[in-house]
Amino acid sequence: MHTALRAALLATLAAAPLAAVPCLARAAELDIPVLVPITGFLAVEGASQRNGAVLALRKPPAGITIKSSVIDTGTSPEVAVNALERALSDGAVAAAVAPMLGTQMLALLPVAEENKVPLITISGTAAITQKHNPYIFRFFPGDDVAKAAQVRYAIDHFKIAHPAILYQTTAYGQSGHAEILARLKEAAITPVYEDGLDVAVKDLAPSLAKARAAGADSLLLQLHGGPTALLMKAVAASGWKVAIIAGSGLTQPATTALLEPGELAGACAETSASPESRETPAMAAFVDAYRAAFDATPDGFALAQYDATNMVLAAAAQGARTAADITKALATMQYDGLAMRYRSDGTGNMAHSAVIVCYDGASRVPRVAWHFDKTP
Amino acid sequence: MRRPLPLLLLAIGAIYGAWAIAHGSPYTLRVLSVAGIYALLALGYLMIFGQAGALALSSGTFMGIGAYAAGIAAARYGIGFDLALPLAVGLPVLLAALVAIPVLRLQTHYFALATLIISQIALLVATEWVGLTGGANGIGGIGGLTLAGFPIRAGWQSLALVWSAVAVGGWLAARMTGGLAGAGFAVMRADGATARAIGLDTDALRFAAFLASAAYGGFAGALYVHTIRVVSPDVLGFPVMVTCLTIAVVGGRRRVAGAIGGAVLVTLLPEWFRALRDYYLLAYGAILLAVIVLLPEGITEAAETLLARLLRPAPAPLPPALPVPPIAVTRGPLLEIDALTRSFGGLRALDDVSLRLAPGEVLGLIGPNGSGKTTLLNCVTGLYRPDAGRIRFLGADITRLPTHAIARAGLARTFQTVSLVAEMSALDNVAIAVEAASVGLLRALGGTGPQFTRARGIARTLLEAAGAAEVAQLPAGSLAYGIRRRVEIARALALRPRLLLLDEPAAGLNETEQADLAARLRDLAQGGLALLVIEHNMPFLLPLADRMICLDHGRVIASGSPAEIQSDPLVIEAYLGRGAA
Amino acid sequence: MDLGQIVFNLLALGAAYALVALGFVLILNATGAVNFAQGDLVMAGGFAAVSFASMLDWPGVLLLPLVMAGLALVGVAVALVAYLPLRRRPPESVFISTIAVGIIAQNAATLGFGAQARAAPPLLPGGDGPGQKLAIILVAAALIGALYVMFMHTQTGRRLRATAQDRDIAAAIGIRVDAMVIATFAVAASLAGAAGLLLANLFFVTPVDGANYILKAYIAVTIGGWGSIAGAVTGALLIALFEVLWPALPLLLPGLDAISGAFSQTMSTIALDIVILLLLMLRPQGLFGQAARSRA
Repeated sequence: MHTALRAALLATLAAAPLAAVPCLARAAELDIPVLVPITGFLAVEGASQRNGAVLALRKPPAGITIKSSVIDTGTSPEVAVNALERALSDGAVAAAVAPMLGTQMLALLPVAEENKVPLITISGTAAITQKHNPYIFRFFPGDDVAKAAQVRYAIDHFKIAHPAILYQTTAYGQSGHAEILARLKEAAITPVYEDGLDVAVKDLAPSLAKARAAGADSLLLQLHGGPTALLMKAVAASGWKVAIIAGSGLTQPATTALLEPGELAGACAETSASPESRETPAMAAFVDAYRAAFDATPDGFALAQYDATNMVLAAAAQGARTAADITKALATMQYDGLAMRYRSDGTGNMAHSAVIVCYDGASRVPRVAWHFDKTP
Repeated sequence: MRRPLPLLLLAIGAIYGAWAIAHGSPYTLRVLSVAGIYALLALGYLMIFGQAGALALSSGTFMGIGAYAAGIAAARYGIGFDLALPLAVGLPVLLAALVAIPVLRLQTHYFALATLIISQIALLVATEWVGLTGGANGIGGIGGLTLAGFPIRAGWQSLALVWSAVAVGGWLAARMTGGLAGAGFAVMRADGATARAIGLDTDALRFAAFLASAAYGGFAGALYVHTIRVVSPDVLGFPVMVTCLTIAVVGGRRRVAGAIGGAVLVTLLPEWFRALRDYYLLAYGAILLAVIVLLPEGITEAAETLLARLLRPAPAPLPPALPVPPIAVTRGPLLEIDALTRSFGGLRALDDVSLRLAPGEVLGLIGPNGSGKTTLLNCVTGLYRPDAGRIRFLGADITRLPTHAIARAGLARTFQTVSLVAEMSALDNVAIAVEAASVGLLRALGGTGPQFTRARGIARTLLEAAGAAEVAQLPAGSLAYGIRRRVEIARALALRPRLLLLDEPAAGLNETEQADLAARLRDLAQGGLALLVIEHNMPFLLPLADRMICLDHGRVIASGSPAEIQSDPLVIEAYLGRGAA
Repeated sequence: MDLGQIVFNLLALGAAYALVALGFVLILNATGAVNFAQGDLVMAGGFAAVSFASMLDWPGVLLLPLVMAGLALVGVAVALVAYLPLRRRPPESVFISTIAVGIIAQNAATLGFGAQARAAPPLLPGGDGPGQKLAIILVAAALIGALYVMFMHTQTGRRLRATAQDRDIAAAIGIRVDAMVIATFAVAASLAGAAGLLLANLFFVTPVDGANYILKAYIAVTIGGWGSIAGAVTGALLIALFEVLWPALPLLLPGLDAISGAFSQTMSTIALDIVILLLLMLRPQGLFGQAARSRA
């Protein structure tokens, strides 16, 4: 269904510029800088963002050329702001691919507003779309969506009653942790154990043993990729048969590559989409193109940023040329991407769906177990 | 002009700044603003690291706490930059004062670790106290800079505000690191014990420098948070401290110009290399390595050396000689030591030592190596605390007084190995001791130029009296050993002491120099100054001393006239018995 | 999880940390300078193990000598580039030059291997869990033992110690000090490499890991007593104690459940920090350090 819609849409979009701006003599140039963390502790996610955006920008709609450069934001707000200012000083930016780190996004919001430039990001941190800033567009399900999917699935499918929560003491972890607690409370479930882990924590056995001793029947994780893999290994080594419903960190191919398929058996995780599961032919084509271009397997972040960038290009194909045009288009358009249908809820949240993927123990590639759509 | 570099840098900075304001993009202006903020941080670090010589790893944290104070005030209570400044500066200073009590006396790396651990705790608190700090995500939506209620717009207005602060901060730092305070810091860095022995309150200096670094950090933090518009644990992270340390070492750790120039360079370098894409941080690392290997003293000191070679500036003229203020003469016992005991581990270095010294008396203190002579000196001057016993000077109990207070009371000493500040002139080495009691950062803020000039005048007289007038303007490190000994005695006399303790003053001198020194010491004693001389060199000591005491294993084994001591069987055994056995 | 298991985990982690701290303290003693790149050398050791493993299908225990030899070469390079040109300069210069080396290493690793975490092969083929940890403890102990023998009972060791004690006197009695310093860097880097292999198997390796390890080494060496070898090992074990034993205390002493909040991972870090501050106050010279005093 997705494919059919997309094909129809593409056909319309391809024809649109000719109809809308017939007097356009030469190709319009759009400046879409890619500002993502290439260095630092979010470099894996940053690489996914970059690759997704770059892959999309390689195929602009007819009549449009793309000017784009990748600028590293590191992991500090200061460097991110410098990167955006630098991009803005280089020319008329139509839209900027912005980093997924929430803190950096908070710092970029006022700069975007002052310069009236839309930011397209996949940051999941709740706060960034709560500032009534009209220039932020988030193409990844926010924690309110993703954590709802995670908790819902844990309750419905695993029948959890006594979960333990392990989360990272980073923005990602704390934001997700708060949402998980809220969703559990709605279901009248109290976690039996919670612990916040620094990304540098090595030995997870004590936390795990305490969760077990507290009588946990399940582990709800909100950890980055590497620590998720460490935890999965520790669980497998301890011989504890426990339901694991993880955050999107588990679904990154870089994470599963660290684990034997057997260590993944039975675990599930939320994410925006699982391209490597090849649910649709379009998704499969995307995975192949991505592999060919970057010699890597795309994850949900890469796909979300690909979709986000393509939505901007779709707006351009419909005639949007300036930052103002694109901001308006992103705020009002509906776009069927490979992962889902994107549409702003009025505050810049574009993604309202998530998936739950599960691992069968034989393969590192998960199957999509459940589609979750947040009903507005 | 003796120091042309600051002027040159100022000129370059002014031209570049004018260009940036006229033609720079918002990006350029922002990066330069951030560079100015780091310059303020580095000016604070200059105080504690460059001047006080303490490897503090907490300056980044002071900036972070200032940033959080200003950020929370702005985001939660709508208090702007200027109104929140007292809080943003005061909170880090308060924390520094509290932290200083337990950790400031720790040495080198133990101090570094303690400050590092405190920084780690601050980072953990900021990350975990979500209700106050917004947790790992921090707090966004902080407004821009304001001044007296007027918004300061990003771009040239912010740049002007930040760099005005840098100018004021740099001027204040120049005051606190120049003149008497700068000379005091130099002595303290060269040798803490010497600094205290010439009457410098090194603890107070270090404490003040630590607080100053916190104040600069807090100010920088407040500017930072209103420039970046978000506060997050990132600003408390170790990388900020590494940047600060890098600025100090690359720029030049002792100079105001070094802190500012280093900040601009270290902030701009990675931005310049951004065109290299994925390789830009690699290039940054390589350039940083090249800079430090090629210019290990920092860019400003290298530039200064180069300029000095090109311009060959003439040394400052000698100040006119001023008379040394007289010392009030008193009667009665000068030094009374009763039953002094001091152990190190199981070893009794001093065991029930008592002695008396009268004004104008020359007491020789002898004994084999390790018999406790220097320990006695160190106890009398307050460098060691005795385990038991009492020391009175001019009738007052000085047993528990800090070293600098004892020195200021009129008890001066020289050390076994001459400890002058090598790169400072002989004149300034003496002058700092003349005014040691008025060295302090608060006084330095008011300017110490006239005081320093007066001190130099007196120092010139003292050097003339010591027979070292002709080397007054040379760096002390370049002097011959015998001359350095004279300068050191002149420095001790600058305290206008009633009692001078000399630890092996003749060591390393040739016979002519020894005779000259003995004559000078005799003159001093005749002028009413009491001397306590530790010496192995009997031909030097015997004619000089009025009375002698011999220590062995920490005990007084003999006491009497030089003739009596010479023939005392216990003394002979202590010296020869062991060698013969 | 019983006490035996906890002690086992503690020793495995502590042994790896001890190797990192030892390398740090060796260079410190030989040069008086802090090698801030020591943590990045651990990271480099991890990636060396990963890349050797991708070429040779060997177990970790056979890769170990290769990794250590490779890192020894890196250590020589660090000495030549970042230490020797600055040997007559204040020690903070080496601080910064090795920080620069660390930046270079970290970004080179990102370019060469990507940012994602990688795992080094286990020491013994097929083995996992307790066997692996035992192997790690044994390998680390063997390396520390070998280091002790080399230092105390070989000619090279005596020369290295003489250099560490007093460079000028060592030079005066005909020891080639620079060669000794280079050798020290090589030994220290190969210890870091060994630690890198062991840690990268248990806990993976990413290009940004260096900062964490250098902090651990710095804490271990300072708390143990600046320059003390025994202190460095003790300090490393103390850190591991707070990372592994402290959070597990409620399991061992059920009475502590009431205040289980004090044993979260974050509180474990804070507890370690507080203990370090108290230790510094009570023993300002570290656990094994000599109290500073001038000649009496």
